[in-house]
Amino acid sequence: MNNIKDNQNFVAYLFLAPAFILLGLFLIVPATLAIYYAFTDYYLLTPGDRQFIGLDNFIEVFKDPIFIQSLKNIMIFVICIIPIQVGVALGLALLINKQRRGNIFFKVAFFSPVVLSLVVISVLWLYLLNPSEGLINSLLVNIGLDPQPFLSSPNQAIYTIVFVSAWQGAGYQMLIFLAGLQNIPSDVYEAGKIDGVNRWQKFLYITMPLLKPTSILIMITTLISAFKLIIQPMIMTQGGPMNSTMTPVYYIFQTGFTDRMIGYSSAMMVTFGILIGIVTFVQSKISKEDEF
Amino acid sequence: MNKKFKKTIEYLFMLFLACIFIFPLIWMIVSSMKPEGEIYVDMGGIQALLPSMDPSHWFETYQELFSRFNIIQYLFNSVFYAVMITAGSIVVNAMAGYSFAKFEFKGKKILFGLLIALLIVPAETILITQFTVAHSLGILNTRLAVILPLIANMFFIYLFRNFFKAVPDEIIESVKLDGANYWTIFWKIMLPMSKPAIATVGTLTFILSWNDYLWPLMVLTDTDKLPLQVAITNINTTEPVFTNQVMAILTLSTIPLIIVYVVAQKYLLQGMGGSGTGIK
Repeated sequence: MNNIKDNQNFVAYLFLAPAFILLGLFLIVPATLAIYYAFTDYYLLTPGDRQFIGLDNFIEVFKDPIFIQSLKNIMIFVICIIPIQVGVALGLALLINKQRRGNIFFKVAFFSPVVLSLVVISVLWLYLLNPSEGLINSLLVNIGLDPQPFLSSPNQAIYTIVFVSAWQGAGYQMLIFLAGLQNIPSDVYEAGKIDGVNRWQKFLYITMPLLKPTSILIMITTLISAFKLIIQPMIMTQGGPMNSTMTPVYYIFQTGFTDRMIGYSSAMMVTFGILIGIVTFVQSKISKEDEF
Repeated sequence: MNKKFKKTIEYLFMLFLACIFIFPLIWMIVSSMKPEGEIYVDMGGIQALLPSMDPSHWFETYQELFSRFNIIQYLFNSVFYAVMITAGSIVVNAMAGYSFAKFEFKGKKILFGLLIALLIVPAETILITQFTVAHSLGILNTRLAVILPLIANMFFIYLFRNFFKAVPDEIIESVKLDGANYWTIFWKIMLPMSKPAIATVGTLTFILSWNDYLWPLMVLTDTDKLPLQVAITNINTTEPVFTNQVMAILTLSTIPLIIVYVVAQKYLLQGMGGSGTGIK
């Protein structure tokens, strides 16, 4: 065995090299650079004048009203989207799980928004939600309600984005819930039937506990991806009105890419990256304890 | 009788739910199949969800769209990026996964630990410094800049590793006795055996790259290199904007995904977590 060991080392590294070079270039180096730039006043157009300014950027970040606002917005988004999207997905899965003619049609219908890209759903809903001539407001007027300023009102815009995002994502999670439901052995339900449980008890004491690993997995992935929200507000509202749909990732993108303030934007990257890192770490600990 | 009534109510409820999910899609497709003016005339009624009464209008919008914009070029770009990224992703991640699964080498634990740790780095938050790296590499505004960052993926390496781990060592040993080297073992034995993993990684990568928007938007300035997703937002802001043409490009950019979802549906659930959680 020993004589081929050295050879194995070399070959193993060769097989790893392409992946690690690419990960290094586009993940490790950028992450490290972000930490370094965060302590400088790097402005993209004058890279030569880059100076080390200590913690100044970070102090600025926590005083920046738009960044604070973006954190609040993303919290609202996260808190709303988890119960809505996951709840709808579970509800749909339970409905579909019942033996019924035409279920394939319903399944395809609920899943269909998943097939659209985020750019497509954003542009599409922009037209549907048009304040004066959009389909939704025409519908509201037809049934005797007032037209709503869905995307142009600071009080409604973020919730509109929650709705659109949940509408798209629920179908995919429904499929995962459905797979979880179908993995529950039928004899558990039969045993329940003998014990005389009603439908509500069946759901609460049999389905829910057995579905817990699936639910946790779905909630975690929803949580992590919700934090990275950018495309929907970018296309539908440009972060407005009055920054009510500005998200941290979008604000980082604007300061770094549009305003070219790489140093300041890096400080926000690091701050927000640490926040997401903590959330990811905590969830991995929790989910390990639950052994899923 | 009562039972029948209950069943009807249930079906009506299901239909109502289905409508909430599909009416935007239907509106998108039918609006691309009628003249601009008709869209707004129809808006108040059920006619909004039906294509133009005159079938000669159905594909007119598409003709106008193709003559106004270089749609063929955008379509080609998107397909090119998706195919290159998908092929690259399968080869590169499978190689790394194979190495972790079947080789004993110095630093294996450390490198694998690094890989797992990288899963925590939220790629969306380091877009700006990824851009400065692409700038230093001198690849801005090249097709390479769109392709390279999407190829290596920790999650897919992990997926391949688990798959290869399940392949018995005896198979490799016996081929080795026949004189095959590591490279041939990988290409001739391991890769062909891992078709389910390839299908899963391939499907997810294709969808991921087809839908990629921010990164191409950042690194590309030439319009003739743009993928469809970026072209959509351009078409949506190039005056004059016609609603029916916008809906036509949205429909066009969705068709390839429908095909992928139909063909590869069974591999999508296996790759949970990669994409499609709705928010990404």
